[in-house]
Formats: sequence, C-alpha cells, structure tokens
Amino acid sequence: MLTEFATVLVFIVLGAATVALMLGVSRLLQPRNPTAVKLSTYECGEVPFGSSWVQFNIRFYVIALIFIIFDVEVALLYPWAVVFQRLGLLAFVEAFIFIVILLAGLAYLWKEGDLDWVRTMQETPPRKGER
Amino acid sequence: MFLGNLESLKYFLPELAITATILLLVAAHVASKNRRSAAPALLSLAGVGASLLLVGLLPGGPGTSLFEGMVALDGFAVFFKALTALATIVVVAMSMDSAELKDKSQAEYYIFLLSVLLGMFLLAAATDIVMLYLSLELVSIPSYLLAGYLKGRARSTEASMKYVVYGATASGVMIYGFSLLFGLTGTTHIGEIGRGLALGKATLPMFLAAAMVTVGFGYKIAAVPFHMWSPDVYEGAPTPVTAFLSVGPKAAGFAVLVRFFYTVFATPDAAAGMWKFSSVDWPLLFAVLSAVTMTVGNLVAINQKNVKRLLAYSSIAHAGYMLMGFVLLTPVGLRAILFYLVVYLFMNLGAFYVVILVANGTRSEEISDYSGLGSRAPFAAVALSVFLFALTGIPPFSGFIGKVYLFAEVINRGVYWLAVVAALNSVVSLYYYARIVKVMFLEDPRESAVLPVPAFPRAMLCLLVLPTLVLGVYWEPVIRVAADSVKLLAF
Amino acid sequence: MMEPAAYLLLSGILFGIGVVGVVARKNALIILMSVEIMLNGVNVAFIAVGSHLGDVTGSVFAFMVMTVAAAEAAVGLAILIAIYRLKETIDITELNVLKW
Repeated sequence: MLTEFATVLVFIVLGAATVALMLGVSRLLQPRNPTAVKLSTYECGEVPFGSSWVQFNIRFYVIALIFIIFDVEVALLYPWAVVFQRLGLLAFVEAFIFIVILLAGLAYLWKEGDLDWVRTMQETPPRKGER
Repeated sequence: MFLGNLESLKYFLPELAITATILLLVAAHVASKNRRSAAPALLSLAGVGASLLLVGLLPGGPGTSLFEGMVALDGFAVFFKALTALATIVVVAMSMDSAELKDKSQAEYYIFLLSVLLGMFLLAAATDIVMLYLSLELVSIPSYLLAGYLKGRARSTEASMKYVVYGATASGVMIYGFSLLFGLTGTTHIGEIGRGLALGKATLPMFLAAAMVTVGFGYKIAAVPFHMWSPDVYEGAPTPVTAFLSVGPKAAGFAVLVRFFYTVFATPDAAAGMWKFSSVDWPLLFAVLSAVTMTVGNLVAINQKNVKRLLAYSSIAHAGYMLMGFVLLTPVGLRAILFYLVVYLFMNLGAFYVVILVANGTRSEEISDYSGLGSRAPFAAVALSVFLFALTGIPPFSGFIGKVYLFAEVINRGVYWLAVVAALNSVVSLYYYARIVKVMFLEDPRESAVLPVPAFPRAMLCLLVLPTLVLGVYWEPVIRVAADSVKLLAF
Repeated sequence: MMEPAAYLLLSGILFGIGVVGVVARKNALIILMSVEIMLNGVNVAFIAVGSHLGDVTGSVFAFMVMTVAAAEAAVGLAILIAIYRLKETIDITELNVLKW
C-alpha cells in the first residue's frame, strides 16, 4: 500500500517538474512582440467588442437551470435503455412513470412561462403571484 | 426476506398516496387561475390524512425488506411515518392560518411540504445507503426552498442561502463517509455493511467513516457543532416552516441516526444492546456530543429577544436531551428517544402555533411584544405557557415524563455526569422559558386591544394542549408502542 | 480489476480541495462550486471501488450523486439569484441580517 503511494508521489513530482520545465523553457526561448491585435480576445475571427463581463439576460439562467435538471434526469434513462429488452414490461412501465413525472414538471414550467423566450410586457403572466 | 419491486408496491401505499397528491397539486397549479385559493391546502390535508390511514393499515411485524433491500417495512419505520405525517397535518393547518403565507402561491408551498414528507417517510425506512442519501436530499432540497419561500424578504432569502451552503456541505461530507464504507465492505446495504465491518480490522477508516456520517445526520438533527444553520434558518423562514423543520426533519434525522448506527454498530445481541468495535469509546463520544449540544443550545437561548430564535436554540437543546437516549445504544434508551419525539411534537408545534397567532395580530416576533398577552389573548397565553412548561420538563406536563425516561437509562448505565449536566441544563432552560411566561402575564401590555383567536386555531390549540397534558399523567400506551417499535428494529 | 489506491488518492485530493474551498472562500457561487468538487471526489471514489470489485453498484451510486448534485446546484443557483436581486452581492460574509 505504502509503495503504491510512493509511486503516486513520484508521478506527482515528475508531473509538476515537467510542467515547470515546459513553461520555463518556452519562456526563455519565445520571442516577445505583443501588439494590440495579438492581445485581443479571439472570437471566431470576428472583431471583438466590449468586455466579457456584461450582464446576461436573466432568462439565460432560467433556461440553463431547466436544462441542467432535465439533462441529468434524462441521462438516468441511458442505463435503462441499454438493458431495456432484457428487463421486460415492468421496467418499461417504471420508466414510463418516471417520464410522466418529468412531463408534469415540464407542464409546470410551461404554465409559469419559463419556456417563452420572447415575452412582451403585456403578455407577461403574473409569475408566482407576487411579482 | 427481500421483496421484489412489484410485490413491494402494496406495502408502499402511504408513499404512493403522497406522490399522487404531489402530482395532483402540480396539475391543480397548472390548471388553476387563482394562486391563493385554499384548495391546495385542503387537497394536501386529504392526501396526508389518507396516507396516515394507510400507514395505520400497514402490517408492522418483524420487518420485511422492500424493493430488493432498499427500504424496510418494520414497526420502527411505521412509527416514524405516523409521527411525521401527524406533524405535517398540524403544519398544514398552521399554514392555512398564517398571515405570512397568505399572499404567496399556495400549491407550490404544499408541493414542497409534501415532498419533504415523502423524503422523511423514505428516510425513516431506508436500509441502503443509496436510498438513504437520496431520501436525505429529498428532505433537504425542498426544505431550502421552503426556508426561502418569502422571496422578497431579506431574512427569508438569507436563511435559505445559508441553509443550502451548510446542507450541501454536510451531505457532501456524509456521502464521502458512505464511499469509505462502500470501499471497506463492498456493499451498500447497511445490514451487510455492519457484518462486513465486523470482519475487518480497519479501525481508523471505519472511525473516519462513522464520524463523517455523523456530520450528515448531526446536521439534520441540529446537534452542536453542526447546528450553525439552524438559528438563522429558524428565524428567517416563515413560521409554519420553522415549526415543520424543528419537528419533522429532526424526527426523521433521529430515525436514520438510530437505524444506521443500531444496524451497523450495535451487537446482534439486542438484550445487551451495546456498541461493538469497543476500540473506540463510542458512548463517551456521543455523551460529549449530547452534553455540548444541550449546553450550547440552552446558554445561547438565554439572551435571545426573538421568540423564533429562542425556540430554535431550545430545539437544539432538545436534540441534546434526546441524544442522551442514544449514548448507550440500548433499546431502552432508544425507546426513550421515540417517546420524547412524540411529546416534543405536540409541545413544540403548539408553541409555534401560538407564535403564528400572535404574529398574525401584532406583526412581531419579539419577546417584548408578548407583554400583557395574558390579558389581550388569555387563551393563547395560557396555551403557550403550558407548552413552554412542558418544554422545560416540569412535573404535571408530558415533557417531564419524556425527560424521566431519558435520564433513567443514562443513570442506570452509570453515566452520572451526563445526567448532572442535563439536570443543570433543565434549570437553565426554566429561566428563559419562564421569562416569556413572566412577560405575558406580569408585564403591562403596550397595547390593550384584544388579539382575536378564531375558532379553528382555538380548536387546533386544544388538540395540541390535550396530549401535552394527558401524556404527563397517562403515558403507558405510547411508551409501549415506542418499545415495540424499537424491538422491531431488526437486521 | 484495477488497483484503486491512486484513484482513492485523487478522490481524497478532490474532496480536500472542495472542503478548503467551502471553508475559505467568501463568494457563494464559488462555495457552491466547491461543493460540486467535493461531490465529484466522492464520485471518483465510488466508481474506483465499484470497478475494483467488479460491482456496478458503485457506478449507480455515482449516477445518483450526479443527479442530486444537479438538483442541488439548480436550487442553490436559484436562491443565489434571489439573494443577488435583494442585496446586490453574493459575498457570504455580508449576509448578516440574522445573527445571534
């Protein structure tokens, strides 16, 4: 057990040394000639504008939150899908119930208006009753 | 015996009833236009009531293992299901009376509340660490949202933020402990883990795992030093939620603490009921945990000016008292915990009910605003006094009997110092509980207007005062049920 | 079957980084991210042990932890947004309406 940890230690030391060596050597050898264009952020060839610290629309957060939840829940279906044929009807019904519960969540989001990207002031439903 | 998924369903009806109610509430929320109607509250009352009835119909018996060993069906689980369902019913009634929640969306609130209840049902029954972790999180995550339900109010949102940070960290530490246990034994079933650990000699990793798991459970029952979240959350959350968190998840936390440690760490010889792995002095560790918890809770409670915060510290102290029954891990001690939880349910929910009624009238939770309550709302003031004296543990009330059982086991087993500490703590607690009573009856009211107490809360208060008084003189049936429930805590 | 020692070391390091982040940082967002790192450390441990034992339970547990972590992150972030709207800060030391 202890010898294994020693191996790990050697790995860590070697890894750190390699990184330091690489960075140090390139630091010594590189030509340095910074220009404004070189220092600018690379945005797929477009001319960059503004800083990246701008305020995002709050809807990005909401959509991202929704995405995280449904993404991970749906990932639970992959193991089931792989062995689906061997598990038979019972597992199918179970997965079906699982999906129905997810759909209830989706219906809730729909009703709350969290899925509408474009929302004019007049159409904004009174969300959660207090806003 | 292990039952498969399909055969288990008929023993799973209480949970199914709650799940169905939650889905109905979602459907009702989506379909309805009026967010403030009383329909969701009534629907949840019906759902939880039905579930409580179904719990009553469950066969207790020596224990069946459902869903391939995921959850147990035994008397212990049934006891805690009944307890938590009862607490939820009272809290739903409270929430209907609360002015804080009146203009909030109703259905969502009850969806969260019932989700916590479902989590507590599963937590009390979980016999597999996967299930245990999932149900603990099912209790925690909706609790975060409930604590922050008054979204525009800084106190509530802040409470919720702190709750998330502490809760997520504690459960992360706990699950790391689980991963150690899984690594040591190669199984996730807690019975198997107990047998696996008995074979091995690895004391240090096992101790580390036990300590990490204790962090997770200790956070749920708010034991010092994992209590940091509770005063803030209790003060900031809407009062019905505070009442709920101080009783429901705490009881479920004790259920899982007892089940886990009893299954993994108690010797199979139930009559002795002592800890195995005596290389670690478990009784001393938990005795210190218990003593520190009750002392910190009581000492900090003395200086509180906000009733909710005072009751939060008092509930930390009560977790300390209840841990006394856990120190020796004997069935007699565990029985005392179960009995105390029943008593605690009525007196603590009752105290919070009065706090809600007073806050509805005065918009305040400061103790100084309770002055003259004895003349402004005599009924509520008398009820609150009964609950507070019961919480202190004064003889004619039920809290006294609960404490007698907790003290008895510690004294019988010779841990005298803990009994002395607990006795001193009770004296300290008398000081701050009696202070509220003094303010209510002896100080002049700032306003003289009568605080109205409508008929429904009045009836609910009667229903909570009654057991608090009756269990103080006639407690035989409850202690027998508690004893049976511990006996059934098999494998 | 592989030797889990190195993976367990990695898991311990990840968990430690997470704990240090939770304790030392003041930004609530970073704290939530540190919790996620803790949970990922746990996942590594579960998968390593499960794979060592040839037992799929470890991977199943890791899957469940991931799911719960996502739910926890979603709730945590939602609360974070709520607190930012109220106080214009997510510095945990400035949450001081409630104190003893």
